[in-house]
Formats: sequence, C-alpha cells, structure tokens
Amino acid sequence: MARFAVITGGRAEARSPSPSPALAEVGLLEGLYLRHAGAVFGRCRWLLRDEEAAKDATQEVFARALRALPEFREAASPSTWLVRIATHHCLNELRSGRARWKEEAVRLAELRRDDGIAPERRELVRVLIARADEEEQEVAIMYYVDELTQAEIAAATGKSLPTVRKRLRGFLAAARAALAEAFPDLALPEGDDL
Amino acid sequence: MSAFSLGGPGPGCSVSRVRRLLAGELPDVERGRLEEHLGGCERCQATRRELEEERRAVESALPFPAFASGVAERLAAPGPDRRAGSPAALRRFAPLALAASLALAVALPLVLRMSQHGEPEGTRLKGGGAAITVFVADAAGARALANGEAVPENARLRVSLAPAGRRQMAVALLDRDGPTLLYAGPASASPLPEAFEWTGASQGTILAVLADAPLDVGALLARLARGGAGAAAPPGQAAEVVTFSLTRRSRP
Repeated sequence: MARFAVITGGRAEARSPSPSPALAEVGLLEGLYLRHAGAVFGRCRWLLRDEEAAKDATQEVFARALRALPEFREAASPSTWLVRIATHHCLNELRSGRARWKEEAVRLAELRRDDGIAPERRELVRVLIARADEEEQEVAIMYYVDELTQAEIAAATGKSLPTVRKRLRGFLAAARAALAEAFPDLALPEGDDL
Repeated sequence: MSAFSLGGPGPGCSVSRVRRLLAGELPDVERGRLEEHLGGCERCQATRRELEEERRAVESALPFPAFASGVAERLAAPGPDRRAGSPAALRRFAPLALAASLALAVALPLVLRMSQHGEPEGTRLKGGGAAITVFVADAAGARALANGEAVPENARLRVSLAPAGRRQMAVALLDRDGPTLLYAGPASASPLPEAFEWTGASQGTILAVLADAPLDVGALLARLARGGAGAAAPPGQAAEVVTFSLTRRSRP
C-alpha cells in the first residue's frame, strides 16, 4: 500500500507547530474558480463585449468576493451572488461610456438593415437595457437573462415584490420606446406585460 | 410588424437554476427535479451547453494561475473603494498572493515548455480536458507543485481536479508499496476534502479516473496493483485517466 498520512479536513491539526493557511486559501480560490468563473466571465463578456475587459472584470469580481467572504458564504446561492456582483460591476463600467452603449441599438439596427442580420435575442436585450434607468437595468438582467422569478429577484436584492415589478415595467416601457425608434418593425407582444 | 419576446423565466425553465445545478448548489430534491426536467427540455439543454461553453472559455482565456495571480494583485493593491477593514482582508490573503505568484512561476515554464514541445507527458492524458493540480504546503508556504517536481519532506499535499463534465471519479496514490485510494465518488471541481503527507520514497503517481457512471473501486485498485498506472482505465467503460508524477529527492 502506498505510504501516506491523511490530514483531516485538508489542514494540519491545531497542535501542528507550523500550520500554513495558504494552501487552504489557494484551494478556496481554485474551488470558486472551477465552480463559478465560467458564469462570471460569461456575464462580463456579454455585457462588456471585450475579452480583455471581461478578464479584468472577472478577477475584480472574485477579489470583491474574497473581501466580502462572510457575506458571500452566507448567500443562499453563491453563483447568483457572484453573477450579480459581476452584473453590477459591468453596468458601472458601461455607464461610464453611456452614450456609446446607448448608440449600440442604432448600430445594431443599421447592421440589420444593411446586412439583413437579425439581432440575437440576448444581444437585443443588452442594447435595450442601455435605454433603461439605472435601477431598472439590474432587475431586467436578473429577470430576462438569468431568468430568476420576480420573487427570487426580490429575495436576492432585498427589494419588495411590488418594487421589482415596478422596475420591470419601467424597463419594458423603455424597451418599447427603444424598439419603436430603432426597430420599428419589431414589437413586444401585447401580452408580454407583468 | 413581428413580435419579439424578451424571454424571462418559463415554466420549470431558468438559466440561474441550471447554473446552480452545475455549481452543485441545489439541494437533492430540487436537483433531481431539475435533472428530470432537463432530460426533456431542449431550452434548458441549450442553456446547459452554453454554460459549459462559458466554463471552457474562461479556462482557455484565463487559466487558473493567471486568474489567481490577478485576484491576488487586486487584493494587495490599494484602491479608492477599499473599506477600513481591508488591512485584515489583506493579511488574510497575503499568503494567497504569494502562493498565486508562485503558482504562476511554476505554470509559466510549463506553458513555455508546452509551446515548444507539445503537451508535457503526464499532466493530462487522452484529450478529454480533465486535469489534476497538486498543491504543496510546507514551512515555506503553499504553491502548485509542478508535475514530476520533487516533493519536499514533511510537506502536505492536496489534490484538486477539474473533471471536465465527468460525473464520477476515483483518485488513487500509487507508489512502489502499491495503490491507496484517496477519493471515490461524485466528481467535483474542487480540492479533495483531505490533504495528505506522502511518506513514500523514490517515485509515486497520483491518478484520477473520471467517468460518467460509478467506478468499481476494488477492481481499479486490483488493476493498479497488478499493472501499474497504465492499467487504470476501466475495461469496457468510457473513462478519462489523468496522472501526476511525484518524486522524492534522494536522501544524502
């Protein structure tokens, strides 16, 4: 039998003269990376549309998670918590170049008119979100992209259910106006209300 | 005028729920219900494929050593939004910064060697994408051990697997004294729960067998005892075998 000695829990016993926490910390980060980095990177890449910026944002999100480790560990869903931090971070980045982001709906419409390329659903959601108010953007992403229910959004954000519904209605109004302007042949279904 | 749907959660369908499933966050009952739903829902199957693609994308664009180094740098750097409690966080993760830098120092020559000579023998076999990382901690701190690098005396080792979508795995340590099972059960993209100290001499191998169906552990140990690491693959079962070489510097 191979010769080895198990160290319970992956850490040295308390009586060990020189326990090093570094192994556990690297193990913690690698566990987070393997479980959640794909989703965080995917969110950052979708919102920022720039791979290098998405890589920076992904690392920033995990650094924030480690700084807020107790809060992160208490989250009902670590993946929802991390993706929400990623969304928040990227929306802030985009807002700093808000005019450019808002113009993307027009560029997407031009592309469609010139080349006949139909906008992909999530890409269209992304440019429509640019037209919404700050408070509506995060809720709209959680509902239309992450597909959380309104009750789940309320629980994750600490907002009341009527507030979540109000934010979604605000986003829908902005989305309808943006569609009428940039994509006059597209309309949200009449029944697509909340 | 054509109707355009923004989407949103559907009956039983939710991107975030599939994401939680893949992250291993769902309780048993909910997991069973969602797995049953996934079996017949093309929309959720497409979501799962997309999430798996995102994971492959980050592993390609931002491998763990570079990621860890970047996170450690951000933790160490002062910034405008740092709260008063940050020094404690920095102290807590200072070893991480060091370990990540060391991991990068280990990984960089490996990457360079791979670019010059192809994939190094032993770290990853049979092309499925699974990989083993072995962390070593001793009095000098913690770092990723390079494949084949000498294991320091009295060092603690901890194995971490990237199972690349496989559902089951068995991890064993094999040296001249024979095989020992380190873990058998559901495949998880995280470090194994136990660290261990390798007390063997000369050479050893950590090997992981990853499959979609449960593995016969007794048969695996018997094959390893008889035929060594080359006999790890279970006959008649689709599986991936990944190995990592341990060596011990000869004592003076």
